[in-house]
Amino acid sequence: MSKENKKAGSGEKKSALGRWISRLFYPNKEMDIYAEEALQSPARMVAKSFFSKPLAVISLILLIAIMLFVFIAPNFVTLDLGEQDSTLVNVSPGYSMMDYPDELVKAGIADISVGSNFSIGVDNDGKVYVWGKTKISRVIDVADIPDEVAKAKIVKVAAGFDHIVVVDEKGTIYCWGNARLGQTKLPQELSENNRFHNFNIVKIYASHQFSAALTDDQRLILWGNVNFADIGMDNEKYDGHVVDAALTDTAYVILTDTGEVAYAGDKATALLATAIPEGAKSGVVSIAATANSVAALKSDGTILTWGVTTRGESAIPAFSAKPIKIEGGRYHYTALLEDGTTASWGHNRYKQINVPTELTDGSVDVKAIYTGYYQNYAVDSEGGIHTWGLRGFLLGTDDLGRDIFARLVNGGKMTMTIGALSVVISTIIGILLGGIAGYFGGFLDMAIMRIAEVVSSMPFIPFAMILSAVLGSQVSVEQRMYIIMVILGLLSWPGLCRQVRAQMFAQREMEYVTAAKTIGIKENKIIFKHIIPNVMSVVLVSITLSFGTSMLTESTLSYLGFGIPAPTPTWGNMLSNANNSVIIQNYWWNWVFVGLIFGLSCVCINLIGDGLRDALDPKSNER
Amino acid sequence: MGKYILKRLVYIVVVFFVVSLLMYALYNLIPSDPALLEMEPLRKVLKPAEWQRQYLEKRAELGLDQPLIVRYARWMGLIPDVGGSFNGLLQGQFGDSTLYKRPVIDVIKAPMANTILLNLFSTILTLAITIPLGIYCAVHRRKASDSAIQAVTVVGYSLPSYLVGIVFIYLFAVKLQIFPVGGAKTPGSTYTGFAEFADRMYYMALPILVLVFIGLAGMTRTVRAAMIDTLTQDYIRTARAKGLKEKVVIYSHAWRNALLPVSTSIMGWIISVFTGGSLVIETTFALNGTGRLYWQALNNTDYELVLAMQMFYTVVSLIGILLTDLSYGLVDPRVRVNK
Repeated sequence: MSKENKKAGSGEKKSALGRWISRLFYPNKEMDIYAEEALQSPARMVAKSFFSKPLAVISLILLIAIMLFVFIAPNFVTLDLGEQDSTLVNVSPGYSMMDYPDELVKAGIADISVGSNFSIGVDNDGKVYVWGKTKISRVIDVADIPDEVAKAKIVKVAAGFDHIVVVDEKGTIYCWGNARLGQTKLPQELSENNRFHNFNIVKIYASHQFSAALTDDQRLILWGNVNFADIGMDNEKYDGHVVDAALTDTAYVILTDTGEVAYAGDKATALLATAIPEGAKSGVVSIAATANSVAALKSDGTILTWGVTTRGESAIPAFSAKPIKIEGGRYHYTALLEDGTTASWGHNRYKQINVPTELTDGSVDVKAIYTGYYQNYAVDSEGGIHTWGLRGFLLGTDDLGRDIFARLVNGGKMTMTIGALSVVISTIIGILLGGIAGYFGGFLDMAIMRIAEVVSSMPFIPFAMILSAVLGSQVSVEQRMYIIMVILGLLSWPGLCRQVRAQMFAQREMEYVTAAKTIGIKENKIIFKHIIPNVMSVVLVSITLSFGTSMLTESTLSYLGFGIPAPTPTWGNMLSNANNSVIIQNYWWNWVFVGLIFGLSCVCINLIGDGLRDALDPKSNER
Repeated sequence: MGKYILKRLVYIVVVFFVVSLLMYALYNLIPSDPALLEMEPLRKVLKPAEWQRQYLEKRAELGLDQPLIVRYARWMGLIPDVGGSFNGLLQGQFGDSTLYKRPVIDVIKAPMANTILLNLFSTILTLAITIPLGIYCAVHRRKASDSAIQAVTVVGYSLPSYLVGIVFIYLFAVKLQIFPVGGAKTPGSTYTGFAEFADRMYYMALPILVLVFIGLAGMTRTVRAAMIDTLTQDYIRTARAKGLKEKVVIYSHAWRNALLPVSTSIMGWIISVFTGGSLVIETTFALNGTGRLYWQALNNTDYELVLAMQMFYTVVSLIGILLTDLSYGLVDPRVRVNK
């Protein structure tokens, strides 16, 4: 090496670890080709041999890609641990919730209604279309339109959480979907046997487990699950006076012909009944409801809201014009304004209030709006549909309505962090104890090796389970995460310790160690600065393989319920959640994606480890 | 040899006591007071002073007033307990399970039989498949068939066992509907004799399949590596040089020697299986085995049971390590331990 190089080399100051790693792959940076031929460090040969194996290199690239993905993506895909929604349970993967059929637009839209994860529309010819995530349970698919509905000329549609109500031009009502809780059990005066009734249906409504129909003689007829929803009706007082209704999840309010909003149900003490503001007692022209709140639009354009408005339902924005109609989603409202624009406010978890700009700047003249759950449809004067809100979930949702993609990404970060940090712990312990035992030998060696044997004689998973159960019972999730890292680190060092010790035995007899001793270098410096760098290659293989093992162990612990507890995702507890024949069978997206990415990471790690080991083993080339 | 075994046995005893003391101390970190639990209902009936007196009496009666080391020695059966008799682990008193309200020994019996049955069948099946497969791979190494088998085995040993379990349930129980999803026997069945055994095996078939699949990967690789090692030996070259047929070389000279290192890894593998190796699979398939029992006991904070089983695991693995070391010397005279 020339003098110049030496100067440059001594000039740059790197950490010890950095130097080891750089020496491992680039022993001497500036060297002419002959010198390189003659002086190829073993580490470089290893690197060369490793990179000549296509499988190992592909695995390395894949693993790095997965790691980058799970460490970078969580910054963009935030996870709300408390998040769960009964209306978004077990939604299949894909962004098809608002993929309305083109035929509907071509034939002209008569009505659209938004259900939990599906929507229904009817064209001017009376043909019904259902789109979105129409499979609402294992066997029920709301897209299976009954024959009599297909034959009839439908004029109005209403979609609830898991059922659909439609009415044809003759005023006959049809229901389908989930019928288990009486959603489709029509009351006597509406049922098909009594179809020659003397009134007509002007409007229909559908909500979580109940539905309602408004007749032309201004009566509201309700049916559905009486145990879940307050569908009682004060017939004496309100029959003949109802002009509109708004259905929340479990109750409803009506708009009377005097412009008053009233709670007509049995539970007069309910918040929706008691909180009706004075202003809503007269002059109301339009009402709408979210899951738990009601909004009333007055003739002067002011909007009043009451009920549970914790998700911003009462934060009414300033409108560019007078609102003429309001519609309610699950936690948001959308208003159609006089000038043909629209405005939304309320909860924005699924971007359901992000109205497209063409609908707010007046470039499109909106004629009608249809809002429900997390979706919005706006129909313009030319018959085109504009949508905004929740389109779907990339990887679907789980049995509590949580976004699997967000959990997969954040769970991956958790799993990989625990895997990596526990490897760091076990590597430090392994090198330290192995180095000391191998270099000094004698009593220290004996003592350390006995400790290593005791640790490795304990059955791993059961012991980790106990430690996690005992130590992790009364701590927060974050502390528990650290406890599990430490447990895994403390239980998995003996293997590496033995390897380092064996290497140490060989290295300490070498001349360079003797030389170092003769010039009076301290022993701890000899061990950790002179010998350890030479055994780094062994350590590298061990780190790779035990990273895989740690990830597996963590996920196994979480799977068994002794790792990271449920709301915080890890790949293990996500798979644990899927260990149920119903989920395995019907909601495959719960486990397939997690299984794939986790399996892929594990296979990659093992292939890299194998590749490294082969590269390090001089005999392996013969194999 | 005798001296070596004796030395190892002494060492095992020491390790056993160290581990058991550690475990016992660990469990005593859990804040629980059996005396309080028993006296709590009387708190409202008795006057506070009287209750306090009786509570302390109860503590003394249960031996809770003694320091940890004394309680440990009593639990272990090294010193007589409060009643004056030896009633510890060493006398075969494993305590009562709080979950099942029965002696631990009785609780463990049935699951143990299941676990042994499960592991016996899966071990036999695994070995019957892996040994020929490993030899085949070694003989045909670097050929397409070997590479394909290697690829499958890497997947097999990389995947977490519960994931394999879920995939197998999906394939065999849900899609093909050949096997039941989980459980130990047909619910409500009253089979006897062979029918009962057949029913049990039917329910055990899928877990066995999963265990075999997981075991396949590791063992095939071990056999293959050992066989390749053997095939590079000088005496194989000699045999070939003598003009022996390749078949004779492989099946007469090579494979017997190749199996020597394999036999020890089989030993280690069996031990891992007995010490909670099938825990995850038993939990996945809701199979009533020791692993699942352990899991249930931990989930229900039945620490008597957990502690007893943990001790059992420790003893089995310690003896297993000794047997592995000894068998190493037994099957390979070159590594006879004589220190």
